[in-house]
Amino acid sequence: MKHSRLPMYVTAGILCFFYLPIVVLIVNSFNVSRFGGTWEGATLDWYRLLFAERSIWAALVNTTIIAISATALSAVLGTTAAFALHRYHTRLQRMHYTLIYTPLVVPEILMGIGLLLFFVALGFRLGLLTVFLAHVTFCVSYVAMVVLARLQDFDFTLVEAAQDLGAGRWTVARRILLPLLWPGIAAGSLLAFTLSIDDFVITFFVSGPGSTTLPVRIYSMIKHSKHMPMINALSVLLLVVTTGAVWGSQALQKKEKAR
Amino acid sequence: MKRFLCAVAVAGAVILAGCGKKTPTLHIYTWADYVKPELVQRFETENGCKVTIDTFDSNEAMYAKLKAGATGYDLLFPSSYMVKLLQDQGMLQPVDHALLPNLRHIDPEYLKIAMDAGMHHSVPYMLTNTGFAYLGSKVTNAVPSWSMFDRADLKGRMTMLNDMRETMGAALKSLGFSLNSRNPAELEKARDVVIRWKRNLAKFENEQYKTGLASGEFLLVHGYSGDILQVMEENKDIVFAIPQEGISISCDDMVIPKTAGEVALAHRFMNFMHDPAVAAENTDFIGYLCPNKDAYPLMSEDIRNDPGVFLDAAIKAKSEVISDVGDALPLYTKMWDQIKAAE
Repeated sequence: MKHSRLPMYVTAGILCFFYLPIVVLIVNSFNVSRFGGTWEGATLDWYRLLFAERSIWAALVNTTIIAISATALSAVLGTTAAFALHRYHTRLQRMHYTLIYTPLVVPEILMGIGLLLFFVALGFRLGLLTVFLAHVTFCVSYVAMVVLARLQDFDFTLVEAAQDLGAGRWTVARRILLPLLWPGIAAGSLLAFTLSIDDFVITFFVSGPGSTTLPVRIYSMIKHSKHMPMINALSVLLLVVTTGAVWGSQALQKKEKAR
Repeated sequence: MKRFLCAVAVAGAVILAGCGKKTPTLHIYTWADYVKPELVQRFETENGCKVTIDTFDSNEAMYAKLKAGATGYDLLFPSSYMVKLLQDQGMLQPVDHALLPNLRHIDPEYLKIAMDAGMHHSVPYMLTNTGFAYLGSKVTNAVPSWSMFDRADLKGRMTMLNDMRETMGAALKSLGFSLNSRNPAELEKARDVVIRWKRNLAKFENEQYKTGLASGEFLLVHGYSGDILQVMEENKDIVFAIPQEGISISCDDMVIPKTAGEVALAHRFMNFMHDPAVAAENTDFIGYLCPNKDAYPLMSEDIRNDPGVFLDAAIKAKSEVISDVGDALPLYTKMWDQIKAAE
């Protein structure tokens, strides 16, 4: 029997759809052309300009600080929230669920303006701290939702068994809950990290002097910049770093398994 | 958990303390890459201060943010029409001419048409002209006139700005009216002209037209001289033309918000940007024209000889700055909606 070739074509099509834009981006980071429509010859100028441009690196540092800190705090808050939502079904928890759910459905622009008005009313000085707090508010929801899904098929008899055998709360959390929930927490944190790193709308409103992040900077560059392809170069560098990190961690895991 | 919260609090305190250091800091809120970086560094060394630059991507977003109460910025760079709105809302403070000796260099020709002619609360920063650019080898018999958008042979390969005032303004100018017209009959005629043009357009477009022209996807585009100058450096085939019926001149200004902390430093920066040598260097770098008459002779030959930057006197006389149309604004919006809906 001859197999249908359709799945192969579909796979190839989807791979192209996903990865071709990245290939175009990599190619354009070496393109002399500033507008990327045509190939005008190879150059490393964009990389050279990128390394000389301190404001882009400052924006990248801001973005990284916020993404890491907001992910860390929302991983803790999101996991505990999911736990409370799963274990208790009181009226208070139903309200809690609505609160957690709201940021997922509220349009970003409303959240941005709302948070800005809130910070201004409290007399907060706008800056990295306000961006961090704003990011935590929406990241918590994503972590909580992912961990909550993981909890649906969590076997609580394991916890009871551990308690029977004399495990205290801390031991249960550390030896039973965390290891079993870990994939959920990790997935939720990754999602939060990604959302934080490329959030534009909310960040635009709650950022203050000196806390411009990379997305805010890039949006403005589209308007006026002479050196837009620097962003292609930066993306390629980020791509190399992340691919390197993933490859490195996989290699380490393999080594560990082999041992 | 407690330890973690402590760590967060400490991190927050460090960040806040970092903001409140002794060297004075000037906080500028502007468009990305709108000041030559070397000039900012020179200003920092000369004044023993630090300059932080934050960026916005549209006048409207910047306005919404400030209106909601965002503070901490000492100097803003909005477009003239937005300056008027900010001033009407009482969000700006007057500029002190005693601190700005370099204002004497500002081109009086520009001030004649400026919205804030007395520079009461704003200082002009950069001018740009609206016109159209085309590929010299593909567009034959080009004439410097808005009627180019009637050319059926370029059908589907032209774009106009997705901007109500700019595109309606082009049509008003092509009919010999003011681009700030409040006359309903004139506006209706302009609407019909834009609808006629629209049949030949690929789309209304504000950003991609630069890429499209550079790659040859579009043959003729309506756009800003500052932007098109950048594309021309890359594709030598591009020609910029100023329609002789007159065009719109737009200006970005420097203004100090009421909430500014470093008012004196903000004045020093405005004064610095209008030092003729600095203004010329900055113009050469960005490609927009700083309206500083004593800087003109110091600018590079390319800029000085560019008729798209330095307008011919006859065309200049017919050109205008887009200004507030007051209660005729809903009429403009209505016409624009009809244009967008038209087949």
